[in-house]
Amino acid sequence: MGTFKVNYRQDTALFQTLWVKVWLGILVVLLIVSPIFLSRYQISILNEMGIAVIGALGLNLLTGFTGQISLCHGSFLAIGAYTSALLTSKLGIPFWLSFPLSGLMAAALGMIVAVPSLRLKGLYLALGTLAFGFIVEYVIFHWGLTKGDMGMAVRRISIYKFAFRTEKQHFYLITGFAAIAVISAKNIARSKIGRSFVAIRDRDIAAEAMGIPLAKYKVMAFAVSSFYAGVAGCLMAHYQKWIVPGNFDLSVSIAYIAMIIMGGLGTILGSVLGAILITGIPHGIVYLVDIFKESYPGLSGFIVDFKLGLFGLVIVLALLFEPKGLFGIYWRAKIYFKTWPFKY
Amino acid sequence: MEKIIEIVFSGFYTGAIYALIALGFVLIFKSTGILNFAQGELCMIGAFICYNFATLFNWPYLLSFMTAVAIGVLVGVLIDILIFRRMVGEPIYSTIMMTIGLASILTSVTGLIWGHDFFSIRSPFMGRTTALAGMVFSRAALWTLGVSIVLFALFILFFRKARLGVALRGTAEDADAAGLMGINVKKMHMVAWALGSFVAVVAGIFLAEQSFVYSGMRHTGIKAMSAAILGGLDSIGGAIIGGFVVGIVESFAASYLSGLEIGSFHFGDVKDVIAFAIMIVVLMIRPYGIFGKEKVERV
Repeated sequence: MGTFKVNYRQDTALFQTLWVKVWLGILVVLLIVSPIFLSRYQISILNEMGIAVIGALGLNLLTGFTGQISLCHGSFLAIGAYTSALLTSKLGIPFWLSFPLSGLMAAALGMIVAVPSLRLKGLYLALGTLAFGFIVEYVIFHWGLTKGDMGMAVRRISIYKFAFRTEKQHFYLITGFAAIAVISAKNIARSKIGRSFVAIRDRDIAAEAMGIPLAKYKVMAFAVSSFYAGVAGCLMAHYQKWIVPGNFDLSVSIAYIAMIIMGGLGTILGSVLGAILITGIPHGIVYLVDIFKESYPGLSGFIVDFKLGLFGLVIVLALLFEPKGLFGIYWRAKIYFKTWPFKY
Repeated sequence: MEKIIEIVFSGFYTGAIYALIALGFVLIFKSTGILNFAQGELCMIGAFICYNFATLFNWPYLLSFMTAVAIGVLVGVLIDILIFRRMVGEPIYSTIMMTIGLASILTSVTGLIWGHDFFSIRSPFMGRTTALAGMVFSRAALWTLGVSIVLFALFILFFRKARLGVALRGTAEDADAAGLMGINVKKMHMVAWALGSFVAVVAGIFLAEQSFVYSGMRHTGIKAMSAAILGGLDSIGGAIIGGFVVGIVESFAASYLSGLEIGSFHFGDVKDVIAFAIMIVVLMIRPYGIFGKEKVERV
């Protein structure tokens, strides 16, 4: 029945059981063949989800694993997006170079944010990052280089001679990056670094007393998290081909926090599920409104308010009734089937 | 000189509104430990309700003001009963996220009912001015300052003298001990939410007098948060002083820095960002604020 781990290596294995490998194999095959059956619009939703997965993984490493609340994840996305946009258009740097550079730029700024944040905890850290987010938005808005509200055109992705044009090509690229992001996040989580992160989250003073250098790992968590965000922002910019400061405002940071809370804090699977859910909700609402449009023509005028209200309602209800998120639901279902027909 | 007086006065005018909103943050945070990110949304709702009665229904101003305040208090009580009664003692990210979710719901409801246009409340001091010592002041500003100063005095007296005020302070100090001494802690949390939304609605209506009634009003709530941080999140006097300081600094920055250009960076409307700059500086130097108490943590 159960899985028994007889040594430490099995406990930290990347794939815990054979079944995990089988299901992951099925998922990979599905992802590879799915673009054949899906429409362009559906693939574009999957692309959005893939980018969100990368960003959500980054935030979960910072908030879920290390326990540092950040309300400025959107601005790290912005930093990555604008870095890559400026590098490719002003300096003509190719995508394969600007992609890691945008992540590194975001990571550098993340480390700068982290240093003053070492003194702040909990609520005050959330407020400090909130203020930082507003200042980044202000700078992007008012700097001549980023063209402010006018927005910037971003070049399409091209690697050597091959240019990415269709949704399908983007899908394979983004999903590939998302898969790499998931595996590296899992590897960070199961290594010494991840265990230090969790120790800091659970009781930071005790962790320091146990010999974990607090400053080093907190700065590292911020750097890793912003690297993920920067890379996600870079992909987003090149995928949309047009960026404005409004793409990265406070609501984006809130959406990312919603993702990791809905999905499950401190779990890799949770970040993926949460990103899929929160990115999917607006499209679901658009779909529903389209169905009822013919009988109630006035409905489409309210769609923005509906989206916002439903988003808020989902968050409130989930926090009230399912605080462990989708991962908690998945875990309960798994236990239920595993022990069936017994209650526990 | 005259310009400076003008700047200081307009700073006090904005500052009074910030102080009212910051007071709401402090009232709720002090007794329930929840930082209410929906404070700005409560302001917005209050202003919209007042607009609904005063302009659409043509009720007298004072009556619509009172009705808006009453409905606002009711909303605050409902929020506590429906949501935050179950959230006491939850981890911080849950409570933050909960208030943010609440804020989106309130914004969406406002948008669904009143739409996203700009409105103005039909008020007795619209466009009127008063000449004082050779200078002209808008009557709305004088009323805002007067009413908020009276409110601040009343609040300070309330927390010093009134039985309910002392009970609230006791709950804020130590909820468990207060419960053991016979104070109804749940009721105190409800009173805190009611008072918090009361000041928010008053601030919202005065804010609408300064510009318009519109859904963007809610952003003032986040700016006022820096006032609460500056004064200290658990100090009522601190919130009031913090509000005025942020208002005055913002007013000076708006008149001396706006429109500046350094290289390709043009400052534009500095008003939007100066509050956050203050917030970062305060958090770096003295995170618990000027009048706040530093929390000592046990391992």
